[in-house]
Amino acid sequence: MADVVLKSVQKSFGKAKIIHGVDLGIRDGEFVVFVGPSGCGKSTLLRLIAGLEDITAGDLFIGGERVNDLAPARRGIAMVFQSYALYPHMNVYDNMAFGLELAKSSKGEIDRKVREAARMLQIEALLDRKPKQLSGGQRQRVAIGRAIVRDPKVFLFDEPLSNLDAALRVQTRIEIAKLHTDTRATMIYVTHDQVEAMTLADRIVVLNAGRIEQVGTPLDLYHRPANLFVAGFIGSPQMNFIECKVAGVGPDEVLVSLPSGGTLSVPVLPDGVQTGEAVTLGIRPDHVRVSPRGSVGGRVELVEELGENHLLYVDAGQGRRLTVREPGDARHEVGSTVSLDLAREFCHLFRRSGEALPSRAGTASPAPSSPDLASSAA
Amino acid sequence: MSGAIAGTGVPAPSLVRARRSSLTRSRIRAAWLFIAPTLVILTLIAGWPLARTIWFSFTDASLNSLDDYDFIGFENYLANYDGEWLGLLTEPDWWHSVWNTVWFTAISVSIETVLGIVVALILNAAFPGRGLMRAVILIPWAIPTVVSARMWNWMLHDQFGVINDMLLRLGLIAAPITWTANPDTALWTVVMVDVWKTTPFMALLILAALQMLPGDIYEAARVDGVHPVRVFFRVTLPLIKPALLVAVIFRALDSLRVFDLIYVLTANSRDTASMSVYARQQLVDFQEVGLGSAASTLIFLIIALLIVITLALGRVRLGEDPR
Repeated sequence: MADVVLKSVQKSFGKAKIIHGVDLGIRDGEFVVFVGPSGCGKSTLLRLIAGLEDITAGDLFIGGERVNDLAPARRGIAMVFQSYALYPHMNVYDNMAFGLELAKSSKGEIDRKVREAARMLQIEALLDRKPKQLSGGQRQRVAIGRAIVRDPKVFLFDEPLSNLDAALRVQTRIEIAKLHTDTRATMIYVTHDQVEAMTLADRIVVLNAGRIEQVGTPLDLYHRPANLFVAGFIGSPQMNFIECKVAGVGPDEVLVSLPSGGTLSVPVLPDGVQTGEAVTLGIRPDHVRVSPRGSVGGRVELVEELGENHLLYVDAGQGRRLTVREPGDARHEVGSTVSLDLAREFCHLFRRSGEALPSRAGTASPAPSSPDLASSAA
Repeated sequence: MSGAIAGTGVPAPSLVRARRSSLTRSRIRAAWLFIAPTLVILTLIAGWPLARTIWFSFTDASLNSLDDYDFIGFENYLANYDGEWLGLLTEPDWWHSVWNTVWFTAISVSIETVLGIVVALILNAAFPGRGLMRAVILIPWAIPTVVSARMWNWMLHDQFGVINDMLLRLGLIAAPITWTANPDTALWTVVMVDVWKTTPFMALLILAALQMLPGDIYEAARVDGVHPVRVFFRVTLPLIKPALLVAVIFRALDSLRVFDLIYVLTANSRDTASMSVYARQQLVDFQEVGLGSAASTLIFLIIALLIVITLALGRVRLGEDPR
């Protein structure tokens, strides 16, 4: 058990700077997920914490101790790799015991730990098998078991579910969540899958091009993205973005003129925006409704039926495409004309620089649909 | 099952199963067609000379009258004249050459394997100029054996050789050593030159095996804090063993047939003569085609036996170690 603190951590490979000064505090027992597009540096950041790469500048503390210069084995961490990284010639038991033999644990102690971990992960029946005789899910469990037996202060997961099929991914995800509940160990988890991030994390760290874009609880990021990047990255299908102009500024609202004509009053604090300034309006597909009194007109380009809901891709003219998610089966055909209503209380406004305008205190955008937000914000 | 599907319109299912489908038959025909050239060429260049050598070993043929010979059965191998046993199997020089060859093979292949692993591990590590090093290290292997043997002959020369000169200047020896003529040093000298020449080959094969290894398990070992030496013996070595075994068999086959290196370095010296040198001496110097063929046949049998033993041992070990 330990907290992990990064202080302006930087990493360069030759002249290429991959991590541009990351400051982050991870509390003892917290489950933190690093998420971001490929190449954003999330795996590199994890490898810096593991000690598989040297930190170019900055400090890394694990459990209060500066560990920049400590070998991976002495940092009290255990790592689970995307490719499992099992020793192909050793059976499951030896794979888990190999790292322990060095720690001068007694034979009985090793045996007890391995069997305990195997019981926990329900792989007791597989202890004599070689990795190639196991399925992907079983291999990943062995890899997790190998981490458990080391009794680490911090678990590091590098995209552990990426090589599994969809059903196994959900199942293993639940097992990792349970492992966290059972051990209360600090866990740092890297993924590009936002569903994993949303479901597993106490806090999510969104990374982009070697910088932290936002740190917060999953619902924080979903409901109050700090900037355009986070707004676009979290949530699937992606948030709709509409380029607008500020038409007027009130004390706690901003009036924008939509490109299709008409205006919309968005309940955010103006925070210094001027009339005439270009802004981006963001709204999630769930908050756009087909309505006879809608403010934006368009033609249905594509319909995707998902069963419990459906997606409409609407061409709103001038190359703008809006996505609409509505419950149940689609009632509109491709080619039909619809008018769309934007729910103003769910709209976000972003400055030219990408930064979000602060939402009005108390009326945090999603109030009706998410009662848990209030508690997490408290 | 496939027969039932393919056999639409053919009467009884049992009949269909008994007969191969026309597709299968045409595939088998095509396979034979592709194998045929190889079989013909192998028969001509390997089968025929081998059969002829074995045949000559049962005759009293001589090099100056190859068409005029008699069948004499096993007399080239073993014969009894007036209570005295004669023939190749009683010949101390032959057995000495067998011993030389086996000793040479065991020692040189062992040293080459160990050095090859060391060199391969170094070349597998990332360091500046690695590409150049990989090319440079192959030079000894690329030089024709006769050329490198001649070169070493001069370097080892007792009066003009650079090696004696260096050792004298360093004060390591008091008088020049006749490396290739002295019975105590001759075979070791041959081993040394062979190691110099063929370690690159070993290193290259082992390097190929090392590059097939997944990198992630080494990172896992680092995180687990396993000592590198331990990782080598417990992870790397078991994983490259199949490739290592193939390399050892390749080299052992070469060493058991060694001729040019020993012949150029030490000529017909009895102290260093290998089986091949002995056979050539019988065949060419003494014109005894029958006896020489008998020696060649025995070489064939000895090598075949040793390889079968190696493969059998190797397969048992590989069987325990399914990757």
